[in-house]
Formats: sequence, C-alpha cells, structure tokens
Amino acid sequence: MTTASLTAADLSVEFSGLRALDRVSITLNTGEILGLIGPNGSGKTTLVNALTGHVRALEGTITCAGETITHLKPFQIARKGVARSFQIVRLFRNLTVLENVETAAIVRGASRPAARRRGLALLEDLGLAALAEEPAGALSYGDERRVEIARALAAEPRFLLLDEPAAGMNEAEGHALVAMLSALPAARNLGLLVIDHHMPLIMRLCQRLHVLASGRTIGEGDVETVRRLPAVIEAYLGVSAVEAADA
Amino acid sequence: MPDRRTLITLAVLVAAVAVSVAVAELSGVRLIDRVVTVMCINLILVLGLQVFMGNSGILSFAHIGFMGIGAYTTALFTLPLQMRGMVLPNLYDVLATVELSPALGIALGGLVAAMVAAALSFPLMRLSDAAAVITSFALLVVLHTIMVHWSEVTNGPRTFFGVPEATGLYQAAGVAVLAIVGALAFKESRTGVLLRASRDDEVAAHTIGANVPVLRWRGFVLSAFMAGVGGGLWAHFITSFSPNAFYLKETFVILGMLVIGGGATVTGAVVGTIAVTIAYEGLRAFENMLNTEQVFDGTVVGLTEVVLACAMIGILVLRPEGLAGSCEIGATALFRRRPQPTGERP
Ligand SMILES: Nc1ncnc2c1ncn2[C@@H]1O[C@H](COP(=O)(O)OP(=O)(O)O)[C@@H](O)[C@H]1O
Ligand SMILES: [Mg+2]
Repeated sequence: MTTASLTAADLSVEFSGLRALDRVSITLNTGEILGLIGPNGSGKTTLVNALTGHVRALEGTITCAGETITHLKPFQIARKGVARSFQIVRLFRNLTVLENVETAAIVRGASRPAARRRGLALLEDLGLAALAEEPAGALSYGDERRVEIARALAAEPRFLLLDEPAAGMNEAEGHALVAMLSALPAARNLGLLVIDHHMPLIMRLCQRLHVLASGRTIGEGDVETVRRLPAVIEAYLGVSAVEAADA
Repeated sequence: MPDRRTLITLAVLVAAVAVSVAVAELSGVRLIDRVVTVMCINLILVLGLQVFMGNSGILSFAHIGFMGIGAYTTALFTLPLQMRGMVLPNLYDVLATVELSPALGIALGGLVAAMVAAALSFPLMRLSDAAAVITSFALLVVLHTIMVHWSEVTNGPRTFFGVPEATGLYQAAGVAVLAIVGALAFKESRTGVLLRASRDDEVAAHTIGANVPVLRWRGFVLSAFMAGVGGGLWAHFITSFSPNAFYLKETFVILGMLVIGGGATVTGAVVGTIAVTIAYEGLRAFENMLNTEQVFDGTVVGLTEVVLACAMIGILVLRPEGLAGSCEIGATALFRRRPQPTGERP
C-alpha cells in the first residue's frame, strides 16, 4: 500500500479581520493518526473547515495526494477522498441510520443494493446494526457521533478528519471509540486526524501531535516531544497534564 | 428490488385511486365521474410537485407554468388541421401541417415541459430558502406572460378552443397510477435519497460529496415532466382554456393539496389530493344549496377558496408535516413487522 498525504502549506484564514489561522502548515499521511490540539478558539475547527473547502483560505495551498485542491468546493474535495465529521453532529435526521450511511456510498457510485450492503457491514463493524432502521433524528448523543463516523467511512476516504469525536461520550464509550479509531488507519489504509480536548484520549490514540494556539502552530512532532515543549506546556497542557501523563 | 414497505405503500395508494374510480363508476352520476377525473389529473400535478418539493425541501411556484406548457403543446399538435386557421390565425406555416394523436401530444407536452425546465432551471438550483421561492415565482410569471403574448401558438389571452376530447376517467386514473409509481421510484432512487439528505442538511450533503444543484435539477426536470403530462391530460378533458387556467388559482389549489396532505411523502400527496377534492366538492354543493334555497339575501361565493385557505393555515400551524405525517403509509406502525429482539443494543 502506497502512502499519500493531505497537506496544507502556509494556510491563513480571516473572518472579518480576525486572523483565525496564521500561516499554518500541516501534513496528514495515510496509515497514521495525527492529533490536532489547542485551547478553545485556537483555530482547530477552522483548519478542518479550510481543508474540506467549507471556508476559503486567504493564502496558502492545500494538496491531496499531490493534487492541488485549494479552490475546490466541499463536494469536490469530498470526492477526492477527504471525509470529515462535525463538532456539532450533522446527520440527515429524517433518513434512517442505514440510509444515512448509504448516502456516502451512493455518491461514490454504489447502486442502492450495494450501498445497503456496505452500510450494513459498516454498522455491524461499529456495533450499530441494531439501530439500522431507526430515524437518525432519534439517536442518543454517542450513537449520533458513531453514525456520523460510519457515514464518513462509507465513502471509503483516504483521509478522515474528526472534530471532537468523543465529545459528550462517557468514559466507557470513549474507550470503545479509541479502540475502534486505532484500528482504522491500518484496516482501511487511511490517514486519521482527530481533534480532542481530552489529553489522555489523545495520548493513547495518536502517534503525532499538532498544536495550535491563537491560529498559529506552536508545536508538532511525536507525542513525547510535543508534550515537553515549553510553549505547549505554557499555552495549553499546563504542567499538571505532563505530570499526569508521566504518572 | 424495492423493499417491502415501499411495495405496501404502492399497493395502498393505487387502491385509493381504484376505489375512487369504482365509486365514480358505480354511482353512474356524470358529475362524480368528472370530479374523479379531475381529481386524478390533479393527483398527477400534486405528485409532480412532491417529486421536487418533497424531496428537495424547496417550495416551487413554477409548477403550474409547466402544466401550461404541456397543455398548450398538446393542444397545438392535436388540433384538427381544418380548425387551425380558425383557432390560430397567425400560426407558423411549419406547424400548420402536423397533427398528432392525443396520446402522442400529451407525451410531447411532458417532454417539452421537461426540456424547458432543464434549460431554464439550472441557475436557480443553487439557491435555497427565500431566494429559491421568489425566483420560482418569477419563473411562473415569465411562463404566464409568454402564454398570454405568444399569440401565434396560444391564441394569446383569448380562449384556445377545439382541442379534441380524449381524457376520460380511465385515462386519467391510469396515468395517475403511473405517477404514483414514478414518485415512489424517484424517492427511493439514488438521486432521491441524496436529495432528501440535502433537504435535511445541505452542508452535510456537500461533505459526503453530493452535488446538490445537480440533484435538485434532476428532481425539477422530472417534476416538470409530470406537470406537463398532467396539463396535457387536462387540456384533452376540458377542450378549451386560456392562460389564466395556469396561474395563481391553480397554483394555490395544487400547493394546498400537497401542503395539507404532507409534502414529504407520496402518501401525503395522495391523501391531500383526495381530502381537498372531497372538501371542495362538499363545499361547492353546500354553496349551491345555500344559493338555490335563498338562505341569505345575496349569493354566497368563494366559500371553497376561503375554507381551503383556512385549512392550509390550520394545518401549517397545528400539524406542519401534513395530514399524512412524515412516514409513508407502508412504513407506519400498522404495517410494521414486530421488531426482532436483539442483544446488541446496550
Ligand atoms: N464562521 C466564523 N465567523 C467568524 N468567526 C469565526 C467563525 N468560525 C470561527 N471563528 C473564530 O475563529 C476562531 C477559531 O475558532 P475555531 O476554529 O472554532 O476554534 P477551535 O475549534 O479551536 O475551538 C475563534 O475566535 C472563532 O470565534
Ligand atoms: Mg472547534
């Protein structure tokens, strides 16, 4: 299996004067899990929005497997193999859970029966098979998030960007999620980017970290290196977090 | 292979049409025969509107304009040759020699409506919400204005008469059944599923890679085709009409039927059409009775319109999803298999 990467080079985004991202460069490779962390309002969601075409970059370039996708629309970027979830879940609420998952397979050219089979297999894998015929608008919070991930996977993406996938889950659900996500890159040959606040979860899950603060990159590299960088400790982790992880 | 629930829905809705036809036949009353025929034609129009509006979630006012295109197209091509000079004195020479059968004329009407929709609508399909509604209304005005002024083929604002009578109860009911099949098939098609997804959440639809304007455009073109066929059937039923038949009053009736029944489902389109037809005819009979019995000093007019308007307001306030709710009849509890116990759910 060949590696490919999704990269942003010197990406800047402004919202009416506010610089939400300031010359950020980031690379996500297939086969790895990259953690994107930083305080609230540091630009993590904005970075995912820019990578998926939902907000326009003021400057910088984005490439997917070598191809420039900077000016493509969200649906075109999706078709290049970049899938995502949202910080606030966005499901098709009047469709069933299975139909939600089917949609992404249909877009990739599957017939309805084929999309149905792929959808059922994914729901089975994620332990959601019992919910297949439920309307997606009637799910619990944790199930909603997992259905959103199942839908993203049905597109067979090369890159999957998850915006706080564990938010609102209890500890047991969080552990199950980590186990499920850890297996994805190898099993599906995709690159996984995960935003989360919860440091223990990020430490267990990720090989590499990228840290943002006020729209700037303040640290990147393997987990051990990054969590000892003074700037990172100061801006985000706090001394206690380093001690907690050492303990 | 459609799933079981869709087949049950189809069976129940076709049965509803069959019962209406049976009532008309058994009654032997000519008026009831005509009412059911018009109901079946309206059903085709309402189903056509449901195809676009129900699945995309976008209100369209342009629908009846496409009905008019279908009606004028078949009228023009089926008008007996010897009458052409009388009805359309300024008709172009090329058109003065072609005469089609009503069945071909109606099919052609559907195709012309679909082609006009395909050509005009793509830019509109990028719009959502208020912008989409107002531009569809503008499109209706444009189509109406063309019908009023293109005298060569429409006889202008004057009545177009002499269309051969060809639509009876069975023709209308048969096409209505096809329209039910078409609307259900579209809803369950790949395009239909994605369009319904975009209705629920347009941003998420983009995120899975759906090209939303293209999906809407397909729905709009099919919708216009059905409106064109409905218009053609109506032209061969009524045999003479003017552009005003395809304007605000008809728009309001067809929209009212869909909204009252419930736009999100094919079931809603059928329920709304039948319910409004019964209410309409009941009120009209009541109005006639009041007037012939001289219950009031003056004559009572407009009762039907006022009641329909009030019903629409009432439904929107009290039950916005319409009489039929948000599920197709085949997916309601009545037909649901008992859920199998599973150990998987925590
Ligand atoms: N659509 C928007 N319009 C204006 N400002 C925005 C918008 N989206 C985000 N921002 C601002 O950009 C900054 C970064 O936000 P965000 O990317 O959501 O941070 P994070 O996900 O790291 O919490 C914040 O100051 C936020 O208020
Ligand atoms: Mg965020």
